[in-house]
Amino acid sequence: MSNSRLVLAALATVLVVGACAPEPPPEPPAPTGPTAEELERMRQDSIRRAEEAAAAERDRQEELARQRMERAAEAARQSLRETVYFDYDESAIRSDTEQRLRAKLDILRNNPGVQLRLEGHADERGTSEYNIALGNERAESVMQFFTGFGLDANRFSSVSYGEERPAAQGSTEAAWAQNRRVEFVVTAGGDDIGR
Amino acid sequence: MLTYRPRWVAAPASLLLSTVATGISAQEEETAIPGVPLGFVYESERVPPIAIPPITGPEWAPQVQGILARDLDYSDRFFVMKSLPDGLQGEGVQYLLWDEFGADWLLTGNIENSAGGAVLDVELHDIVFGSVQARGRFPLPPPGEPGFRMAVHRVSDAVVEWATGDPGMAASRITFAMKPFGNPDSQELYIVDSDGEGLQRLTWDDDLAISPAWSPGGDRIAYTSYKSDLPKIYELDLVTGQERVVDADGAGTNFFPAYHPDGDRIAFTVMGTEADGIYSYDLERDCCRSRLPGAHDRDFTPTYSHDGEQIAFLSNRFGITTPQILTMPSSGGEADLVSPYRFGQGGYFADPDWSPVSSKIAFVGGIVDKRVYNEYDIFVADTETGDSRLVQLTSEGNNEDPSWAPDGRHIVFKSERSVGHGIFIIDTATGRTRTLVANVDAKDTDWSPLLAGDWVAGGVRRGAPAGRR
Repeated sequence: MSNSRLVLAALATVLVVGACAPEPPPEPPAPTGPTAEELERMRQDSIRRAEEAAAAERDRQEELARQRMERAAEAARQSLRETVYFDYDESAIRSDTEQRLRAKLDILRNNPGVQLRLEGHADERGTSEYNIALGNERAESVMQFFTGFGLDANRFSSVSYGEERPAAQGSTEAAWAQNRRVEFVVTAGGDDIGR
Repeated sequence: MLTYRPRWVAAPASLLLSTVATGISAQEEETAIPGVPLGFVYESERVPPIAIPPITGPEWAPQVQGILARDLDYSDRFFVMKSLPDGLQGEGVQYLLWDEFGADWLLTGNIENSAGGAVLDVELHDIVFGSVQARGRFPLPPPGEPGFRMAVHRVSDAVVEWATGDPGMAASRITFAMKPFGNPDSQELYIVDSDGEGLQRLTWDDDLAISPAWSPGGDRIAYTSYKSDLPKIYELDLVTGQERVVDADGAGTNFFPAYHPDGDRIAFTVMGTEADGIYSYDLERDCCRSRLPGAHDRDFTPTYSHDGEQIAFLSNRFGITTPQILTMPSSGGEADLVSPYRFGQGGYFADPDWSPVSSKIAFVGGIVDKRVYNEYDIFVADTETGDSRLVQLTSEGNNEDPSWAPDGRHIVFKSERSVGHGIFIIDTATGRTRTLVANVDAKDTDWSPLLAGDWVAGGVRRGAPAGRR
């Protein structure tokens, strides 16, 4: 600022002051910025927002975790329900069947409340009476696999359907292979899996 | 303990008769089941001709005649002559002329229809000896009434007995399991008369019913059903239509009922328990399930001998790939091998059914080469002679579920053949086979005893939708 402008400003002040009676100096103009209260409120608000965001994130993470758990539980339930297959006239556990049974074994160990019904089936070849016996043998074979690993036999029940409930229709090797099986029904504790 | 008595020692090949043109030589059959002589041993005995002139009486007399003639044909004890000469019919029996005509037997009949009901008088004449062999009076309900056909069947059985001294089987029925049309998820029980008439549905459970078995009195049928979640045995009273669960609270699952000849006890197979195997149960007192001493947890499908002293059953004691037929005392004890098991040589035998009058057991056998095509045959062994003869009754298609007729001569079974699927009846003496029910996928056939009543007509409507039978 130049000196001449300062002088002009000073003159103007004198003129104004000189024009009026001596009066008390005016109140200082109301501050245009936030008040202390407002500042405090804003501070609280921002804390609240941050907390809410954190809570939402926490919820989101929890929901994700819950979904992951649910997916894992559903996967476990599905794995428990997964059908296993057998060779013609055989009740011996073959390697793909053993893999599936081992997966079930882990789930059964982690969820001691779970109980299963083992439903044995046979393909149409052979007499229907013999096939009831064969389906029973397959269910027993699966049960023995589990109890052999120390699971309580009371957690399992078995029923044979023989050749009466084929999964696949037709008299082909492909259909027969689908029908030589043990199916699994969760009869107790299914809702507690993963909790 | 099991005795490994070598029942099936080799018989001289000359004993094997191959009277049925099967294209299988005796030599090939011998190799099919190693060490076991098989053979079609149908007797080629002369079947005596019988003449049945028209039965006189009301306008429905020809219907009675038709039923009688067909029954006597189906009995396989007679050759029923057709196109009888008019001159021989009428008053008085001209034995010499009938003899000239070629008849061994002559059956004449007359129906008196009075207010008190109809009565059929029949006379069986022995043409060769020129005399009346036997005569009888049989009350008949009017045609169309329930029990009419069964009453005529009983006359046929009387004629068979007069001529041969053996029981007939016309007054009987066969029960079996079949999927009702349009409902592949359900399997229900049916019954049909021994001549293929009167097919009726017995159960309406909309679930899986298997392995029906007639009571010795013919008034009840026991069977296995899955309708209450786990398989249990149910007993259907054909007189009242009432049903009860047998051994409702027993552990595990129950299958394959078989009545003791006294009708008060039943044997069945228990599975899914700590102690599986064959159990007997007191039906009279509805209690006391007990495992047969000496039973094995791999024994299934019991069937009682005619005197109730023994049971035959399927056993997987030798391994699941080689099911065999065993017998043991019905009170338990040592088992005895009936089917021709040789260690390491396979063999598949199942579905035993003990004759209601003799020491013969019918069962299913699988020959390795045919098993590939899911083709099994019906065999008969005689536990009395035990001399190695295993009679093969069938040779075509797939044959299962044999069950003896009350005459101990015919066997009903289910078969899948090139002519179609269905229920067939074979005469074990001549090999003559007829279709009982054509074009059905039926299974678990069981032949009733001779039926003293026509209970089914009143009893089986249980659960049937209104307006249907």
